[in-house]
Amino acid sequence: MASPSTSALSSAGGGSPTGFLRRWLPWILLIAAALILPSVLPPFRLNLLGRFLSLGIVALGIDLIWGFTGMLSLGQGIFFALGGYALGMHLQLTSLQPGQLPEFFGLYGVKELPAFWQPFNSAVFTFFCLWILPALVAGVLGFLVFRNRIKGVYFSILTQAALLVFFNFFNGQQKLINGTNGLKTDTARIFGALVGSDAMQRNLFWVTLLLVVLSWLLCRWLTRGRFGDALIAIRDDEPRLRFTGYNPTAYKTLVFAIAGAMAGVSGALYTVQSGIISPQYMAVPFSIEMVIWVAVGGRGTLIGAILGAVVINYAKSLISEQLPETWLFIQGGLFLLVVTALPDGLVGWWTQGGPARILAMVGIAPLAPTYPEIDFDPAVQAEAETVQSDASPGGSV
Amino acid sequence: MSSAASAPVLDSSTPLLELRQVSVSFDGFWALNDLNLSLAPGDLRAVIGPNGAGKTTFLDVITGKVRPTKGDVFFRGRSLVGLPEHRIARLGIGRKFQTPRVYQNLTPRRNLELAVSRRASPFDLLFGRLDATARDRVQELLEVVGLHPYAHQKAGGLSHGQKQWLEIAMLVAQDPQVLLVDEPVAGLTDEETELTAALLRQLAGAHTVLVIEHDMEFIRDLQAPVTVLHEGHVLCEGSMDEVQSDPRVIEVYLGSETEAA
Repeated sequence: MASPSTSALSSAGGGSPTGFLRRWLPWILLIAAALILPSVLPPFRLNLLGRFLSLGIVALGIDLIWGFTGMLSLGQGIFFALGGYALGMHLQLTSLQPGQLPEFFGLYGVKELPAFWQPFNSAVFTFFCLWILPALVAGVLGFLVFRNRIKGVYFSILTQAALLVFFNFFNGQQKLINGTNGLKTDTARIFGALVGSDAMQRNLFWVTLLLVVLSWLLCRWLTRGRFGDALIAIRDDEPRLRFTGYNPTAYKTLVFAIAGAMAGVSGALYTVQSGIISPQYMAVPFSIEMVIWVAVGGRGTLIGAILGAVVINYAKSLISEQLPETWLFIQGGLFLLVVTALPDGLVGWWTQGGPARILAMVGIAPLAPTYPEIDFDPAVQAEAETVQSDASPGGSV
Repeated sequence: MSSAASAPVLDSSTPLLELRQVSVSFDGFWALNDLNLSLAPGDLRAVIGPNGAGKTTFLDVITGKVRPTKGDVFFRGRSLVGLPEHRIARLGIGRKFQTPRVYQNLTPRRNLELAVSRRASPFDLLFGRLDATARDRVQELLEVVGLHPYAHQKAGGLSHGQKQWLEIAMLVAQDPQVLLVDEPVAGLTDEETELTAALLRQLAGAHTVLVIEHDMEFIRDLQAPVTVLHEGHVLCEGSMDEVQSDPRVIEVYLGSETEAA
């Protein structure tokens, strides 16, 4: 199988029944959840879950650029909001009578639809725009930054500065996009159904779930082979890769654009499930929170990014309902815990034998492989063979 | 690859790599000063010099990391000045760094697979597969440097010597025409040092190899012409014995060649 480090789980899925179960159980559970949850959860909770799942997509993008490639972007809110605005504008237009304008334009005395709104009448254009536009913006921004070899903390500061520029710009444009107030999508209609209706929200939950899975598959495909190796090589030692004949700028630009596209999709899904898109989605703290989800879930694990986004946000909403003041402290504490004790996040802790260590602490020692077993371990056997035949390493070239 | 085929490999009349009056100034400090050096195809050359002589800067200039303030660098008649590092690498100039630099979070096999790739664009890596010859080459190199038992663990966990060898293997996997090797035996055991010298001697001929090293025994072992750098220019050239008996070299090394070794 491709990578020994990432395929530990899947390579166990050989012919044995337990291997089969191990391989397919997550998918079976996923499909069961998709079928059962909508009838079990109240609409409000289901809608929340859908929203948080959609945030998993932007988190996956961050994992790609940060967890794998080592670029910490604090500006993913830009691309998230661009996707949201693209869909929001389309939904503003779909429910209008011919000749009518979205309501807010009247407040600012705008008599004619601005030119850049026109293409958003088309559902097809919107569908492509909501991920291609953020990808293009990310690609251009990324190319300029990476070509000039800006990296590390300077890259982070730059992305945050860009985020602030976008935030302020969108806040100030009442006449173009309703400024601070943003665009409402609740009362708009898709395929004749109200976006805010329970039935539509359930459909959106399924769409979100499907897109999360597709995004995860895309990221896994990107990171498994040699392309993923090159991303890790960029994180580990970018100049070394350059002297090997690779142009890291191309890789970084591409992967930043992909993360931008994913943020756009995520923002569009989040917008229709929360009923509004506003410049608040480009606020500085929100983009930092996205990074925290990935850090807590586990950098470079992909699944950790999704879990981090869903679990943290669900916890946030549950805890805030009971003790509104405490959430920020809990979030900060979680982040501190991860930074100091769990550098690979919760998923990394899990896969590196964390639960067994906890059990060992309370006196339940894990079952260690003992002698006869060790001798039959194929890895041990291979090692034993090579040690024997390894007397003279300096063969011919 | 294609460029290698078109070059007359063992025609020693035309230099493969040539530095003409190269000077590099870092804020007024001249790290290289009017340096001239040329390598013929198939040469094995050792470069020595006391600390601060400009040995590493000299490699930086060839590989495009540092742009010369004055002078020019030619590779097969073509100027390298102003080309980005990855273009120079693709032309056929490979480099090993002073401290071993491998991709810590990749396995030795995957380190080598990145180095062995002839095509290095993102789309090639996404959609192209490594062909059988390249995979065989990786396996062969893993065995040559004795890392095949460790092929599936992260390179960050290897010992210093193993990392050194992995990086040398990466350089060989890249199959450059010119190998620039900066301190390949720093931190290696005597036995490993001997093996490295043998490896480099084998590579010379088909490749052009330039080695920078402090270890005089190792240099002697290479049986190669030696160039002595001092204060950014070439002090003298010759065999190891000639160089070691040259009064200027002795003076530069404070008259104690045993200490330098």
